[in-house]
Amino acid sequence: MPDERAVAHAPGDTAPADLLAAVVTLCRTLRDRGIVATPAESIDGVRALGVVDIADRDEVRLALRSVLIHRREDFDAFDEAFREVWSIERGLPAPIPLPGPRREMVKPPAPAPARPPTVSLQNWMKPSDGDAGDSITVRAASDNESLVARDFSHYAAEDDEAFRALARRIARRLSLRRSRRWKASRRGRRIDLRRTVRASLRTGGNPIALERRVRKVRRTSLVALCDVSGSMELYARFLLQFLHALQNTFARVETFAFATRLSRLTPLLRGVRYRESLRDLGREVQDFSGGTRIGASIRGFLDRYPKLVDRRTIVVILSDGWDVGDPALLSDAMQALHRRSGRVIWLNPLMGGADFTPDTRGMQAALPHIDLLAPGHNLEALQRLIRHLAL
Amino acid sequence: MNDEIRRIQDVMEREAYITDRQIATSVFLATALGKPLLVEGHPGVGKTEIAKVLAQTLGADLIRLQCYEGLDATTALYEWNYQRQLLHIKLGESSTASMAEQEATLFSEAFLLKRPLLAAITHHGKPPVLLIDEVDRSDEEFEAFLLEILSDFQVTIPELGTIRAEARPTVVLTSNRTRELSEALRRRCLYLWIDYPSFEKELRIVRTKVPGLGEQLAREITGVVQALRKMRLTKHPGIAESLDWAAALVALHADHLDEEVVRETMGCFLKDDGDFQRMERELQGGALQAMASFAG
Repeated sequence: MPDERAVAHAPGDTAPADLLAAVVTLCRTLRDRGIVATPAESIDGVRALGVVDIADRDEVRLALRSVLIHRREDFDAFDEAFREVWSIERGLPAPIPLPGPRREMVKPPAPAPARPPTVSLQNWMKPSDGDAGDSITVRAASDNESLVARDFSHYAAEDDEAFRALARRIARRLSLRRSRRWKASRRGRRIDLRRTVRASLRTGGNPIALERRVRKVRRTSLVALCDVSGSMELYARFLLQFLHALQNTFARVETFAFATRLSRLTPLLRGVRYRESLRDLGREVQDFSGGTRIGASIRGFLDRYPKLVDRRTIVVILSDGWDVGDPALLSDAMQALHRRSGRVIWLNPLMGGADFTPDTRGMQAALPHIDLLAPGHNLEALQRLIRHLAL
Repeated sequence: MNDEIRRIQDVMEREAYITDRQIATSVFLATALGKPLLVEGHPGVGKTEIAKVLAQTLGADLIRLQCYEGLDATTALYEWNYQRQLLHIKLGESSTASMAEQEATLFSEAFLLKRPLLAAITHHGKPPVLLIDEVDRSDEEFEAFLLEILSDFQVTIPELGTIRAEARPTVVLTSNRTRELSEALRRRCLYLWIDYPSFEKELRIVRTKVPGLGEQLAREITGVVQALRKMRLTKHPGIAESLDWAAALVALHADHLDEEVVRETMGCFLKDDGDFQRMERELQGGALQAMASFAG
């Protein structure tokens, strides 16, 4: 592991030792707060202090901040760390004993979510004879729950040709995007002048063979995050069936389920019939029908699967926005997700109701970081979604 | 305070760029440490201006590369002038030069079209300021390519060999944060975040940049714009919008704000239909007075 000792040699001749120690301590404190501050940063920090007025505390703070910190979000943490490390009275750094081994980040124990009285996944797997929807108690604290429930309670689990047709259309839509970049091709419509001129040298400047180029195909991928908490019980059954169809039609799709925790469903959905998928889901996903912590789940997704989201990813969140977590956490997680992905679409099944307004705390916190909020309560709503699936 | 930082602040103010300590310190460090400066902030807070003023301050040329999606090495670095190349081959048809000689001529600097990055590297005389504007709009491939250029300031053109910068240009990158930039790019740069200006700072900017603006009107304009930034709007007005609005009001010979004149000139600072309707509701609710007297 790279250590601060490596730094001590590099700029050590020009900087006073206590200054060096202070910068190193500051970087260490920053690392404890989860900010990347490597020896490279330490070196730049010391270099910066070599050129500014180190008796001017504010100047030192501003200089170190622009050298050590690389994003707006870390400013507060930096200022706090700086206050701790730099002595106030003299403006000059106090001689600081180097702290011992890195402190462990102590996470507060997660409060156990209250389990609402709802049916388990077992109910989903009963032979669907069409009346299951009527007998299930739904936790959604919405007046129009029965109305929305009727929307798809008559979908039989086996009858998923409609889902497969929809999945095929979505897959086609996502595959046909053309990038703005070019690649050489024998059959392109546009002439590639660079290569044509090159080739014409052989024939004394006569461009006998025209080289051509085409647009590269853009690889759009899709990530679906499906809320399977208690309030989503009925919708989740329907939405997962849709995701199952999509998963088996389109290669670049990843499916996750969350309630209080996040589970990756992709391997469970792929290559098996929906009914078998459900059986596996019941075994693997422990927190079905629990409460919802959307923010923590999305944060967990970003932390554990950072490679799955980039500018060519469309993220679809399927949730009613009922959240028992901290709204600030949800807002932060959504912002991070939004910035890293190409498009964030939120499908809210409750939007099917006539008097829907997105005024739950969770929805309010997420709203500024969504590109599209759309209903997702029936097949027709999902079909309308297709034209928004473009980057 | 370091004398050089104070000097930068003074010079920037003289160029009518109202600055603050953080900006002056970062700009100074970028030149003193020879590192690229990454400037982030909301649209319209004067990120691009920094590069322009910096070029003026240093007495250097400004070379600008505007980024967009699909921007590739060819468009940013160099391209061959095909028309001239073809013409040259045609004209030299009867010549007895060997193919190798012909090729050497064709792929020489005479036929090279320098795009901004190569222009910045091969620039003679005082090192220029290279502005890479809205780098968040380009895609990951281009960002990776930039990393290479920014660390070595040299490029290799297959036909010509490696071209190295005589003196490193001062580099300013700006980003509107429509996309998260890679950690690698961030870490190669000094970082500067520009927030919307405070009431006092914006007032100074408006008064410095728009001549013929009355004191009361300047305060009212600044007040309304500052209040708008606290509202839930689709597109918040930047400093450019305040300046446009002030200039329009001067042209209309207004000396204070009333609902009528605000309604007429709303297009200067609101760019979204929904925001128009929100503003209209505020006006009907009689909120103009409160907004115009907003001060922090």
